[in-house]
Amino acid sequence: MIQILFFGPVAELTGVRELAADFHSGMRLQDVVANLQNRYADAFRGVSFISVNNRQVRDQLIVLNDGDEIAFMAKFSGG
Amino acid sequence: MTAVRIQLEDFSQDAELLALRAGSQRMGGIATFIGCARDFSEGREVSEISFDAYGSMALVEMNNLRSEAIIKFGLLDARLVHRIGIIGAGEQIVFIAAGAEHRAAAFDACRWLIDELKQRVPIWKKEITPSGDSWVTQHP
Repeated sequence: MIQILFFGPVAELTGVRELAADFHSGMRLQDVVANLQNRYADAFRGVSFISVNNRQVRDQLIVLNDGDEIAFMAKFSGG
Repeated sequence: MTAVRIQLEDFSQDAELLALRAGSQRMGGIATFIGCARDFSEGREVSEISFDAYGSMALVEMNNLRSEAIIKFGLLDARLVHRIGIIGAGEQIVFIAAGAEHRAAAFDACRWLIDELKQRVPIWKKEITPSGDSWVTQHP
């Protein structure tokens, strides 16, 4: 299972903070992104960062592992 | 009380400074920054600010910032505290302290820490105003 997280303005547009996706061998980050972009087009226009297991990633070709946690995030505005 | 925290409740600058100074008597300079919630932004009144965070990643990044600052500026210690949840106008949001042997390193590190926090730590703020709520996207 892949855990998918949304926060802040992205979560407000998806209407959910957390989703689960079935894992399959050879699954890549781009597979998850493509699926979610179709479902949450408005929210994904505001996504500036993606992290896998608390680390920002830019290469969407990375292969995922069962149990990975993926977060889709807008630009940060803390402080 | 750990040196890096994300919390709902307010923090005490005095308590943070006591904890910082307890680590070393070689500390000749301490620079601090406190970020507060303003009651006016973008031409409108702001009553509260709501903060959301990716807590686990935010803590990892804040701990990384502390470690990097200690090495980069030769600090003796540093502390970072960020509040989340609903924060009223005038209340404290974030606390940064950098302790060094001399003032220059403390000032430089404190400025660097808050600038980097704004760019690297996954926290988002939404301003709550009488005319509606809006997420803040810039980090000036």
